[in-house]
Amino acid sequence: MIFSELYGTYYNAVAKILSAAVERDVPLAQMREIIRSAAFEESVFEIEPAITSQRWNLISKDGKTNIEHKPTMPLTSLQKRWLKAISLDKRIKLFDVKFEGLEDVQPLFRPEDICVFDRYSDGDDYENEQYIKNFRVVLDAVKNNYPLKIKYVDRRGYASFIAARPLRLEYSEKDDKFRLYISGSRGMSTINLGRAEKCERLSENVSFTEKKTSPVSRNVTIELVDERNALERVMLHFAHFEKQAERIDDTHYRLTITYDGDDENEMVIRLLSFGPFVKVVQPERFAELIKDRLYRQLDCGL
Amino acid sequence: MAYSELIKNFEKIRSYMRDFYVYGFKSRDDYTQKSARSYDDERRRIESWLGDCMGFRQTSGGKNVFISIDSRLQRSNPLYRAWKSCSFTDGDITLHFFIFDILYSPEVRCSMAEIHEGIEKRQQLFLQARVFDESTIRKKLKEYEAQGIVKKEKVGHTVLYSRCESCDFDFPDALMFFSEIAPCGVIGSFLLDKLPTMQTPFAFKHHYITHTLDSDILCSLFDAIDRRCSVTLEVLNRRKTPFTITTLPLKIFISVQNGRQYLMSYSEYNGRIFSTRLDNILSVKPGDVCENFEEHRQKLEDMQQNLWGVSTGRGGKVHIEFTVRCVKGEEYIFDRMMREKRCGNVVRLDENTCRFSADVYDAGELVPWIRTFICRITQLKCTNEEIVQRFKEDLQQMYRLYGIKEEALV
Repeated sequence: MIFSELYGTYYNAVAKILSAAVERDVPLAQMREIIRSAAFEESVFEIEPAITSQRWNLISKDGKTNIEHKPTMPLTSLQKRWLKAISLDKRIKLFDVKFEGLEDVQPLFRPEDICVFDRYSDGDDYENEQYIKNFRVVLDAVKNNYPLKIKYVDRRGYASFIAARPLRLEYSEKDDKFRLYISGSRGMSTINLGRAEKCERLSENVSFTEKKTSPVSRNVTIELVDERNALERVMLHFAHFEKQAERIDDTHYRLTITYDGDDENEMVIRLLSFGPFVKVVQPERFAELIKDRLYRQLDCGL
Repeated sequence: MAYSELIKNFEKIRSYMRDFYVYGFKSRDDYTQKSARSYDDERRRIESWLGDCMGFRQTSGGKNVFISIDSRLQRSNPLYRAWKSCSFTDGDITLHFFIFDILYSPEVRCSMAEIHEGIEKRQQLFLQARVFDESTIRKKLKEYEAQGIVKKEKVGHTVLYSRCESCDFDFPDALMFFSEIAPCGVIGSFLLDKLPTMQTPFAFKHHYITHTLDSDILCSLFDAIDRRCSVTLEVLNRRKTPFTITTLPLKIFISVQNGRQYLMSYSEYNGRIFSTRLDNILSVKPGDVCENFEEHRQKLEDMQQNLWGVSTGRGGKVHIEFTVRCVKGEEYIFDRMMREKRCGNVVRLDENTCRFSADVYDAGELVPWIRTFICRITQLKCTNEEIVQRFKEDLQQMYRLYGIKEEALV
């Protein structure tokens, strides 16, 4: 169903070459450029000979074509069904989108066909009008790179204002929250979009300073023993990080994970969840964080 | 057969990609028991698709190839590229662009003879025209009818073909978001390929991308759920041996904490609802419509109040509870328990303690979560004594692992 040449890189690349050729002859160099930007690393070695040896009879060696219109293709039933499915997702309200032409289309899936069973329950309120308004302002600011004045409620419940340039809008499926990365006078920081009360474009008359800082990446190295399927569980759990794994022997493995320094507490908790199958070996500072928790657990008298 | 960057069958590449991405420590020797050439070809393909995400390391066991992606920095899922590598024949691609050039708008309706003539006309530029007989063209048009992109109608005695109406999808922000987080998101990526390239404003945290490789399986299961029909699955067991089962798909359960996806289905054979990991499913064959679908799905929904994960257990429900201490300034612990619990209750016993309790089908599924409260667990009780015993033994092992018990005893 999904695996079809209709959605393939080659069809897309050839469509782009033909689009250009419909307007004027496409020299070989331009063809190569289109292939390089639209297809895979080695595609040029397959698409170019197919064109120049006239295996496809779509475009001649000198870049001429008898195709009369820029190539287009209607959406397949599968694409329409997926669009219909996302039109039923509550998060679609964040976007100012109208789905037209899908009235008679069956969704590929409905919200009740899916259960995300381990998502945290205090996610953002996507139905809230002010939230939707803030989201759209922030999205526009990220795309067009202009600073915002944000009124938000801090962790202690106090209202604050901040002037900052939004850098990116990050969504966590686990937390079901959007976080906004901002750059302001105190460097780079984050704001949970759910805590923002009002976001508006910063007036050009207001002076605005930006301190450049970068996120701090850290490494933690663990050794794991493959009991009770721990290898697969650990590898899948940490799959989304940049990491390096090596086998020590038949049952022992070493894994180095690169994580964002701001998330250290979360990393400690995540590693603890694997119990005795995972041991932090480096850095010593991180191992001490685990040991500290174990000492405190010993005091709990379980 | 000569090497090609494109592939006909996704199944083989699916397991290579998962191994390169999830594990990344296997050497060439681990893969080459069947065929060294096959490994070399698959590795070369994946390198061609994912060049920027591939890494290599020389170890004593040989050269290790791995896919290393920090999914927070990658703004779109690179594994989608594998789904865009389906092979085709020279005739397929030529015919494709000719047909849609002839049927260039939904108003254009052509007979087979007109399409045939249009194909010949478009080849005048070339010395050797490719000959497409009517049956080949008809077969391709039938294929496109099934895909919903071409329709046919009979006017008098003549069959006329036209392209189907498309629909508006020029909303790249929504597509960039949902192509990353919605099931079968690769379809959103196909749509984005039709729009001008633009930088996504989104980034994703805790973003698991491996399940992409199971999109075709997921799609077939959604289809079966939609049609309320049973399926015959070819599944790999724990020893990676394939076997077949016939079952009624009810719902897809998704984990956003490890990226796994599961089919929850009802087995007529033993009358149980059980889970199957999608990455273990090799194929899905649709079967008969089941009249009792709603009844079985309702049963699953009732069970969900007592499911922590996906395990429906075998011996009924068990009670589990644990108590944690949180001193002044640690009120967030109570909030954390409230936020993270998937079923059951959390109560504040006094200023310094709170308790979680639940009746669940498989208490073992809670253990990793309970461990995240290590440093404050004062009590753990379960009607399945084995769970408590094992938890305590694991804790003792952790003390030993970090040399704590010995130090504490000194």
